[in-house]
Amino acid sequence: MNTTSRLLLASAAALPAFLAGCASPYAGVSQPAGAPVVQMRPDERGAVAGTGIESQDMVTVTDRMARSILAIPQIARAQVPPSVVLEPVVNNTRFPINKDIFLTRIRTQLNRSAAGQVSFLDREMMRTLERERELKRTGQVTASADPRGPSEFGGADYFLTGKLDGMTTRTSAGTSDYVLYSFRLTDARTSRIVWEDTAEIKKQGLEDAAYR
Amino acid sequence: MNSSRQFIAGAALALLCAGCETLPEETRPLARDSSPAATAADRRAAVPERDRVLHDYRTAAKALRAGDYDEAKARLDDAIARIGGIIANDAEAERARGLFSPESTKVFIGEPYERVMAYYYRGLLYWRDGERDNARACFRTGQVIDTGPEQERYEADYVLLDYLDGLASAKLGADGGDALARARRHAAGRFALPDYNPAANVLLFAEYGYGPRKYAGGQYGEQLRFHVEDSPSRSARLVLDGGRRIVPLPAYDDLGFQATTRGGRVMDFILGNKAHFKAAADAAADLALVGSAIASDTARRRDRRGKDDNDAEVAAVGLGVLGVIGKIASAATHAEADTRQWNNLPQRLSFAALRLPPGTHLGRVEFLDREGRVLVSRSQPVKFTVAPADRDTVLFFSEHKP
Repeated sequence: MNTTSRLLLASAAALPAFLAGCASPYAGVSQPAGAPVVQMRPDERGAVAGTGIESQDMVTVTDRMARSILAIPQIARAQVPPSVVLEPVVNNTRFPINKDIFLTRIRTQLNRSAAGQVSFLDREMMRTLERERELKRTGQVTASADPRGPSEFGGADYFLTGKLDGMTTRTSAGTSDYVLYSFRLTDARTSRIVWEDTAEIKKQGLEDAAYR
Repeated sequence: MNSSRQFIAGAALALLCAGCETLPEETRPLARDSSPAATAADRRAAVPERDRVLHDYRTAAKALRAGDYDEAKARLDDAIARIGGIIANDAEAERARGLFSPESTKVFIGEPYERVMAYYYRGLLYWRDGERDNARACFRTGQVIDTGPEQERYEADYVLLDYLDGLASAKLGADGGDALARARRHAAGRFALPDYNPAANVLLFAEYGYGPRKYAGGQYGEQLRFHVEDSPSRSARLVLDGGRRIVPLPAYDDLGFQATTRGGRVMDFILGNKAHFKAAADAAADLALVGSAIASDTARRRDRRGKDDNDAEVAAVGLGVLGVIGKIASAATHAEADTRQWNNLPQRLSFAALRLPPGTHLGRVEFLDREGRVLVSRSQPVKFTVAPADRDTVLFFSEHKP
């Protein structure tokens, strides 16, 4: 084998090594596949997840709040089931949410777990109820009791409301979101907060490098 | 010896084939969404899953400008459900990072300025529905998206996102002072941001100009670049009461500026590596093929002199094989940046809050050029009704036709 051939064969041997060395275009990129979202509490997490407020958080939080409310003496030892009005939750986080869903689930949980121990007043229906009462008073529809008597619409003993606060950190290591869910029950007569409880959930994740 | 010559001819043919390119991404139709017979649902179903968010974005912007707010909300919610999560361990994203698939293989969620606009539009729609806190949540997420975590010196710098965050807080009875201070810092003296007026019951959102255009630069289209053509409309105003009341609508934010000043992406680094591989493989293949030709020529000359040189023939064939492999590898490497884009975005965003009596109001929106002259052909008559209750009336004015 002459010198030319030897050089050519050496070049040929070097080519695959050269190509192999370049084979990974994302060499040097930290965690190119990203890191899946990790929920900091031992709750179930779906395959599709973000660091925001998700259904499993809602279930966890509302279950906890419903149990907590039932344990307070004002509810557990009340002679007459107290009437509660739900006020909209205030969302101070960066996640747009269906706010009604929290209170709706707490209400249904309470109604299911402690039937008769607490009653809820349906203020969302007030316009419809007033119109119905007016129809009864004017005799346009039948009534089972005297519609001209004093109003039978119930007054609230307590107001139940909540607030969601959040804190976000975003660095090259990923995105982290902490959400504090706080709910409280306020005595309608004295304005005293008779119960308050919180739940907190923190999540973090890192997107695939293709999205960074 | 003939065998090596035949091989080189075959290699040349292979190179010719390898040079064939696929259609650039932008020339492919997104979906058959112009067919008049197809329903909106049909058109959505025809959109590939990886382009679904893009379709949502474009449809939402059209719907918003047409006053079809329910459709805009539905499309934005669909998009936000996809862009709001953390995409990790995703097979398509992994392919997009690989050598032999273009970046556009991944599910489209858009560059930060596009994602911010999805939240901005959804925020104003939440506000229109009376959900100020959810509107504020959208503006806050926009700020988070705008931060550049890979280059930690880049902080969110949209003026309006912070200004609206603070205004929503003020209207909710909280303190919006911090957000207002941030907005003023972002404005950096370019314009004066008015103090919040919690009594304002009409919120005007305006947009004008044409948004940034993506294109691929670099030898292999591996660099994502933006073309920003400064639009003639530099500001706007709402003229009410026959000209007795003029509400200025200055350009608080510029999407062209946002698209071009956010810094690089990790994906740019990956695409750069892909381009490097493509170029190196191509150069190595050239070298191997030249070597193959030299070896072949040497073998031929020795053959003429009656000398047998099997080594040169083997070298010619070997180098030829490697040259072809290199060329094929180079041609199959896709370094092109993803240039799919939300192509009906505006360039400039504006806002004003004012107090108006309930009832119907007539006026016109005027767009002004750099010298402050009214662009008459772009002016639009407007008619709107201010809600009687203490609910905010949210109005949206766009220079763009639906």
